[in-house]
Amino acid sequence: MAPRPYWKGYLKLSLVTCPVAMSPATSESAKVRFHTLNSDTGNRVMSQYVDSVTGKPVTDENEAKGYERGENDYVLLTDEDLESVELETVRTIDIEKFVPRASIEWIYFETPHYLVPNDKIGNEAFAVIRDAMKAENVLGISRVVIGRRERAIVLEPRGEGIVVWTLRFGDEVRPEDDYFQNIQKTADPDTVAAITKMIKPRMDEWSPAMVSDPIQESLLKLIASKKKALKPSKTSKAKNTKAAAGNKPSNVINIMDALKRSVEADLKGRKRSG
Amino acid sequence: MAAHRAQWKGHIKIGEISCGVGLYTAASTSDRISFRTINKATGNPVRREFVDSETEETVEREKQVKGFEIESGEYIMIDPEEVTAVIPESDKMLEIEAFLPSSEVDDVYFDKPYYLVPTDDVAEDSFAGLRDAMRKANVTAIARTVLFRRMRTVLIRAHGRGLIATTLNFDYEVRSSKEAFKAVPQIKVEGEMLDLAKHIIGTKKGDFDPAAFDDRYEKALADLVKAKAEGRSLPKPKPVQVSKPNDLLKALRESAGMGEKGQTRQKTKAANTNAAKPKKASGAKNNQKKVG
Repeated sequence: MAPRPYWKGYLKLSLVTCPVAMSPATSESAKVRFHTLNSDTGNRVMSQYVDSVTGKPVTDENEAKGYERGENDYVLLTDEDLESVELETVRTIDIEKFVPRASIEWIYFETPHYLVPNDKIGNEAFAVIRDAMKAENVLGISRVVIGRRERAIVLEPRGEGIVVWTLRFGDEVRPEDDYFQNIQKTADPDTVAAITKMIKPRMDEWSPAMVSDPIQESLLKLIASKKKALKPSKTSKAKNTKAAAGNKPSNVINIMDALKRSVEADLKGRKRSG
Repeated sequence: MAAHRAQWKGHIKIGEISCGVGLYTAASTSDRISFRTINKATGNPVRREFVDSETEETVEREKQVKGFEIESGEYIMIDPEEVTAVIPESDKMLEIEAFLPSSEVDDVYFDKPYYLVPTDDVAEDSFAGLRDAMRKANVTAIARTVLFRRMRTVLIRAHGRGLIATTLNFDYEVRSSKEAFKAVPQIKVEGEMLDLAKHIIGTKKGDFDPAAFDDRYEKALADLVKAKAEGRSLPKPKPVQVSKPNDLLKALRESAGMGEKGQTRQKTKAANTNAAKPKKASGAKNNQKKVG
């Protein structure tokens, strides 16, 4: 399932403009997540906004964004107000510059997004920009406002679409010299030769299997078996929850032992095959 | 030497060769402009409180425990120590499992970069040997170990005198680009359109230094806040003109023709007659926005 685009706007190269939509390439949604529960009741714990002075809960419609002008003095801004920020990069990715592929240090790449045309009126214009970048073997450089910051971005044509990377800010990347400057510059040729010999037999192709998550897999298996175990008494859902919560010691220990065993097995398996 | 503490210390290993290394955070996330959430009714800032979803009573920190959702709305509690117990003991060994040609790395998996540094003089020989051998072969290494409480894969490459290790996102955290681009119609661009677009790109080629980039949003926001505080009406965003398919070639021709000299107003004529006679003015880069 494709996530909803979280940014919609325009892609622009000189006088050519087309509507586009952008969505993150990564997602947390498939991750097994823990929730916070109240140990007294077994119910979920929710976070709620309360007024910092009166201590009373604040309803959604009373929540507003405030920009601090002075101490305890806030200018309230609506989403509509924020639309009026006078920066074209709020809604337009204007490609300002092109650089050779691989000329931007990887270390600056922060978050990848997928950019696609957002209306058939722009399909061809999008394709022109994408294919010309491919043909010239370049990356596009631009800026766009995401998360209330203007970000430098890199556009990389890929397949039928474009990958957009937000780049880290200069002050977020620590200077490498602080870490690397004392490391010896040249290596002993014999060591290099010995290690070079070890590289060839270990050459492989990239595969998503290289980034599997054994702990998550075990968790998923266990949750599945837990669900199964609970199925028979489905009629009394509410009671069941309480019972499961009340039962905690035995349940928990079993889950954890099993989890631990399966993860250890996986680790050992990995060692052997490696 | 390093100004910060190592996030992780262990050994990097290939075959029988290993050396002591430390991982240091290479990039931090600096503070974003923060808004406070305000209670419109009172003008006071709000704070978060944790409440029971059913009884709506405040739940003290010591009553907050972790749980799994086993079915929608059904949870099982777990003690934090038991969660810790399930994370396998780390052997502190970053063992290289494979090498990939550097050009074949799928960068969409990249998570966070770390500087990888030898921990002592003894380690330095093999460290420098690995670095130079990888650089010579133009490869990156794939290694796995228990890192930050998960079994993680890191991608290691030579960088200057050191190595950079980038943690990779798990398979289920990354959407495939094939899938994401499936709905984009396949259009192959050729001929004049492609040539014009390539020409436009040619006029905009340059260098880019990400470190020199500045965020203009805060300034623009401050202007907005000022306008609002003074009760001035806020500007409406200007509508964006989209190129219509029929006008695409014209727009490309005009872009290619002007690229440099600012907007001269006889473009339509030129475009109608004999298209892109790309007159190259010098001073080409002047009308680009300044980035670096």
